[in-house]
Amino acid sequence: MSILKTDELKKYYGTGENQVRALDGVSFQVEKGEFVSVVGTSGSGKSTLLHMLGGLDRPTSGMVSIDGQDLSELKDDALCIFRRRKIGFVFQNYNLVPSLNVYENIVLPVQLDGRVPDEAFLKTIVDTLGISEKLNSLPNNLSGGQQQRVAIARALVSKPAIILADEPTGNLDSRTSQDVLGLLKISSNKFAQTIVMITHDEEIAQLADRIVRIEDGKILARE
Amino acid sequence: MFGNRVLDRLDQMLEEALNGEFKESSYDESKISRLETKWKQYLSTSCLLKENLEKEKKNIKGLVSDISHQTKTPMTNIRMYAQLLEESLENGEPEQNRRLVQEIVRQTDRLDFLIQSLTKMSRLETNVVEVKPVMQEVEPLIAEVVGGAQSKAREKEITISCENAELYKAYYDLKWTKEALGNIVDNAVKYSPSGSKVTISIREYELYLDICVQDHGIGIREEEIPKIFGRFYRSEEVHQEEGVGIGLYLAREIVRKQDGYIKVVSTPGEGTEFHVFFRKNA
Repeated sequence: MSILKTDELKKYYGTGENQVRALDGVSFQVEKGEFVSVVGTSGSGKSTLLHMLGGLDRPTSGMVSIDGQDLSELKDDALCIFRRRKIGFVFQNYNLVPSLNVYENIVLPVQLDGRVPDEAFLKTIVDTLGISEKLNSLPNNLSGGQQQRVAIARALVSKPAIILADEPTGNLDSRTSQDVLGLLKISSNKFAQTIVMITHDEEIAQLADRIVRIEDGKILARE
Repeated sequence: MFGNRVLDRLDQMLEEALNGEFKESSYDESKISRLETKWKQYLSTSCLLKENLEKEKKNIKGLVSDISHQTKTPMTNIRMYAQLLEESLENGEPEQNRRLVQEIVRQTDRLDFLIQSLTKMSRLETNVVEVKPVMQEVEPLIAEVVGGAQSKAREKEITISCENAELYKAYYDLKWTKEALGNIVDNAVKYSPSGSKVTISIREYELYLDICVQDHGIGIREEEIPKIFGRFYRSEEVHQEEGVGIGLYLAREIVRKQDGYIKVVSTPGEGTEFHVFFRKNA
């Protein structure tokens, strides 16, 4: 069952001679429960791809569908709600709300959606991620690795159709990175969570079930 | 109690779900829209469960045919050698007799190995035996695993080394992890050239302990890496080597059951690193 599908996805910036083809016909699929990494150097188009997949920007042409929904069919308001319910984001700079404690940060997307967090599920997640002792702390009192674990918990708790992780270890040292990635991998196994991780780092990408390579806005076929 | 419109929509949602074509109608802040999302979530989860069950069924079918295929060869061989032995006994050629007996023993060992692997696999899968990880030192694990691979390694003059194992602790089940790591080290020995080195190294992270087994063997192509953990998977390139394709499958299942994971880094022609990550706390 494919949860994410793109078809001939294109994003061009500018016109004429100045035109930049950030994405130039990207088609791929991600199955439910799969952990896929998208690797590319800077300027390869991988960040543009993530923005398209997450409905953060609209493509020039082509299609993105998540959980059976073609994103182009949605108006901005609906797209915003769609993102909140269906997509969990993990960013390089964690994006936690500094004035809320760890628990409040984790349940924020669920509460924003007017739902009640599934406390039993939440407990399993924070136990798995090793942050159950930190629920009352403020983000600024945590290390970078711990903050990113909170961000992963926040992405998991709403049981999104897919988690998009953009360079999740970009701000972490290599030792902490390994831990955070390990937890991401275990979470994907344990909760059958579909994850797409974008990175420039080959080493980090190896942890995924499958690697998609992108270069000059196109997917690289490997023999 | 409900407006007619809501009831109509609910009815339509059920109808669509029955036909397997439910799609959310809108995404807004209304309760019905939230309910639709939840409904969709429930449907995809049960759909996934159904798909997995189907896959499992197919797996079992495949498993049964694999098992009968795998056991048939040694059985046929044993029968054949036994018949030859019977004939040869009448002619009384001691050298020939001994060779045939050896062959029978070899085939029996192979069958025995296969059946043991299958038993372990089924016990793990049906949760008959539970993997019970505890916090303990890793040295006994390394010692047992290296000891177990030693005789095969000696045949190929391969040295297996490990330093500083006594410094580390991890959260694991000794009996099963011995099996998991043992399979990885056995593979390293099997697919390495004679006279090369297999190195076990340990690295500590905040949450995990990484036990790395490095060889200088044939390596694995990147596209193949996810497949090597599949049941009965054998790479085209190694078909001539003995094996049934259960070792890595077992290894991954065992490590998973302890909330650990395995990472493979390989360069074809240069060698492979298997990193096995164990939790450092319960």
